[in-house]
Amino acid sequence: MRADRCRPALDPLLDLAPCGFISFLDDGCVCAANRTLLEMLGYSPDEVLDKHIELILAVGSRIFYQTHFFPLLRLHGRADEIFLLLRSKSGEDVAVLANAIRRERRGEWMTDAVLLRLVERRKFEDALLDAKHVAEQAVAAAEDANRAKSDFLAMMSHELRTPLNAIGGYVQLLEMGVHGPITPAQAEALGRVTRSQQHLLRLINDILNLARIESGRIDYDLQTISLNDIVMATLPMIEPQIAVKGLRYDVDVPLGLKAAADREKLEQILLNLLSNATKFTHEGGSLHIEGALVPDREDLVELRVGDTGVGIPGDRLELVFAPFVQVESSHAARVEGTGLGLSISRDLARGMGGDLTAESTLGVGSTFTIRLRRG
Amino acid sequence: MDSPVLSRNNVKVFGRGTQPMLFAHGFGCDQNMWRFVTPAFADDYRIVLFDYVGSGKSELAAYDLERYATLNGYASDVLDVSHALELQNVIFVGHSVSSMVGVLAANREPGLFERLILIGPSPRYINDAPAYVGGFERSDIEGLLETMEKNYIGWANFLAPVIMKNPDHPELTSELVTSFCSTDPVVARRFAEATFFADNRSDLAAVEVPSLIMQCSDDMIAPAAVGEYVSRELRGSTLRHLRATGHCPHMSHPKETVAVMREYLRSPVDGAQSVARIR
Repeated sequence: MRADRCRPALDPLLDLAPCGFISFLDDGCVCAANRTLLEMLGYSPDEVLDKHIELILAVGSRIFYQTHFFPLLRLHGRADEIFLLLRSKSGEDVAVLANAIRRERRGEWMTDAVLLRLVERRKFEDALLDAKHVAEQAVAAAEDANRAKSDFLAMMSHELRTPLNAIGGYVQLLEMGVHGPITPAQAEALGRVTRSQQHLLRLINDILNLARIESGRIDYDLQTISLNDIVMATLPMIEPQIAVKGLRYDVDVPLGLKAAADREKLEQILLNLLSNATKFTHEGGSLHIEGALVPDREDLVELRVGDTGVGIPGDRLELVFAPFVQVESSHAARVEGTGLGLSISRDLARGMGGDLTAESTLGVGSTFTIRLRRG
Repeated sequence: MDSPVLSRNNVKVFGRGTQPMLFAHGFGCDQNMWRFVTPAFADDYRIVLFDYVGSGKSELAAYDLERYATLNGYASDVLDVSHALELQNVIFVGHSVSSMVGVLAANREPGLFERLILIGPSPRYINDAPAYVGGFERSDIEGLLETMEKNYIGWANFLAPVIMKNPDHPELTSELVTSFCSTDPVVARRFAEATFFADNRSDLAAVEVPSLIMQCSDDMIAPAAVGEYVSRELRGSTLRHLRATGHCPHMSHPKETVAVMREYLRSPVDGAQSVARIR
């Protein structure tokens, strides 16, 4: 019955074509198949005609036929460049690329499909997909490792802070003479203990901050903030160090200039930049703090901290933002710090939708630019 | 009516009736798959169509890997859409995997649904020897994932927009449309895994809403034995065998599909519900 219903007479030319050809009805019944396809799969015509098209599909491709291929044909009237795995009579997989069109012929809706065998191309696709999987796994492994590192750092920092606070507290008690009077030499020694304890505490706080940022445990409270206010609030914290080194500084931030930022975090970034500029600038040098709209970008504002310090070699400029890096320079002895400040500052700036970048000329000075959304 | 869910799930509502028929598409496609059957119900019902987040023209930005890792996330979409439209006495129509999505939704909020119409349901696609035959081995599903991956690779134009030259819809000729089957490759794989690695057998017994099981002939995705299993487990269910072959009768044999659905909808709901109440 089916045979009467469909069996289109095949043009003999199709048997000579270098690719498979098959016609089937909406219910999957195969009406025609050319010799190339039958030979590719090792079937005789009678074994395929009037059978369901699923017969010649590998199981995965049968599901794909039902969930994707047939719906595409039904809804679009055609399907182009569909990858399918055919199943030969002897059970081997044969990869093909299918182009198909569904149309009405003699009162029946029929799909005609051309099946192009893939041999070399499939190898390339497999190699590409393998490479993609390896890359994805490597990325996932690296992300896992980084997260583990952040968690470890966060935990360790907490563990270290507790005894450090105890040290600080007991030194204070000794200095206050709670356990009896102390000599001037002892007082000086205790002062050194306190300074070291505070230094260590700062380093640990830096590490904890970085770990928090990396594990995404930081919330940003973005508000419209005057950049001039921020500079004026931050400068007094660093002025003693500036004065000790005898540096000059000037501030040029327009009063109306506003950014969308988290006040506390912006102050932290600015303090870090000012502290670096002070550290790395020789006595008698100068700092320049400047705010401006970004040319051609009306939605962005910038705050720049420039110095006349030792500068950073061009090839190391980006490295200063990597955690735990401090650029060594022949012009300066290694300066105290974790090398985390700029990494944290950049993460914070980016967390507020902005960025932190640097320009520098060795021996002339550096300028760090905080870019933020306009408030 | 202006809930964000409506744009998130690309919800479409039409029809002249009041009782809602909520159509949930299956894996691999979107709400367009219903267009051959919905006109038959538009005079008597309020037709509600939607795309699951990640499918069709839903908002991909709303996709959440965690939420949609299991079919429960898809059931949440069904409930979200129902709440956003304040639907009541819903007739839920689910194709393929959406049958189980409907079962999960009905178990979470039985009072929302009047009936479930399940087209080609399967609570578990993978065999669980010796007692349960789902029709597939794990390796078969891996084969599907490989075929999908090859089709979502860059140079196949599977995902590309196509010029519509649809002879049975001349009014749509030459319309530039995005492939109805196009979904993001990551989303599609996740949906495939959520579908074919699911085991919802234990959810069937809890269903209180009466249901119709539409079982196709020669359906390799949901074989006859699976349909019978579902009808045994799903109390208050009616099993109907279709002459339609394959897995998508609403696309391949819309007339028979509509006729069977109509006949079921004409049957009194009370009889079926009392079955549920007696338990």
